[in-house]
Amino acid sequence: MTGTQDEDAAHPANGLDEVVHQRVRLGILTITHEARRVEFGYLRTQLELTAGNLSKHLSVLEEAGLIEVEKGYEGRRGRTWITLTALGAKALADEIGRLKKLIARVEDR
Amino acid sequence: MLAPIGLLWKPIGMTANSMSAADDPRRLLSELRTLARRVRLEQRMTWVALLVLAAVTFAAIPVDWFAMQVRCHPDGSCEFARQGMLYYWPPATLLAYGAIAFLYLRAARSRGLGTRVLPYAITGAVTTVVFPAAWLAVRLYFQSHPYPDGPLPYWYFVLDRLVMPWGMIGVTLLLLAWLERSPGLLLFTSGYLALVLLVLPMGDGFGAPHFGVRAGMAVPQAIAGLVLLLGAAGFRAVQRRHR
Repeated sequence: MTGTQDEDAAHPANGLDEVVHQRVRLGILTITHEARRVEFGYLRTQLELTAGNLSKHLSVLEEAGLIEVEKGYEGRRGRTWITLTALGAKALADEIGRLKKLIARVEDR
Repeated sequence: MLAPIGLLWKPIGMTANSMSAADDPRRLLSELRTLARRVRLEQRMTWVALLVLAAVTFAAIPVDWFAMQVRCHPDGSCEFARQGMLYYWPPATLLAYGAIAFLYLRAARSRGLGTRVLPYAITGAVTTVVFPAAWLAVRLYFQSHPYPDGPLPYWYFVLDRLVMPWGMIGVTLLLLAWLERSPGLLLFTSGYLALVLLVLPMGDGFGAPHFGVRAGMAVPQAIAGLVLLLGAAGFRAVQRRHR
């Protein structure tokens, strides 16, 4: 029984971050990691989301301190820029590491 | 839940975070890699960098031609001084790397993206200092040391060509290949560097009897510029096909 509990505790799936481990949010983190700074409209197009849906995911990530949202104007047009924080970069790297471990574990069986 | 359709991410409701199938982590990672690659491709403006560098290289030819001081002796040997290069290249490279950084940022911004172009601009500025510094160092060294009697070793010529503007262009292109994680640019730059370091006589020019001193200097520069121009055309064509 103890052995099973230890095995469960060591299972990579147990370490998955609920905030990050979501396809859309992982997509947001991946894009911002590559681009340094991304405009709201670009994310919406790439992830094929409605503005409302994307806003919800951005709020979750912003509250967790993984991204920074900056609103401004370019001429008369409102623009929202999203930047990955250092915490966000670490969370993305950790999540990818856990996913790789999970794959390795599944393949070992 | 999200149902991936090809490379795109189609949302079907947005609440659950399921990972039921055993192969999901692999699929997820593969989708993330594809997404990252697509963003990288959209940030690339390799052809612009090559075009600007080709333009700077071509513009250097008349400067070198008219500013070169040539003194030929009765025995047929000639002495030449390429002072114009020293005055032309530092400001020209600074302007070129500034223009490349500006064009990269403007293009990325218009697509709704940021871009990591600052390291490239900094390297460009550093190489701008390296070239005249190396030129001055060599000049000062040979003022107090005699030229060796025997032929100079081959590595000396390679090193000499490396610190010349055309070699420095290759070094900054290597950095751009690393920043853009572009194997294509890495391959192109390797070929370009092999050409300007090992094949073309960038420092001494093609000699007599086929070329005069000025023409002998202009031809290797024209070849280097042409290679950069062809590279720009090639990368432009590839980019258009991808978009």
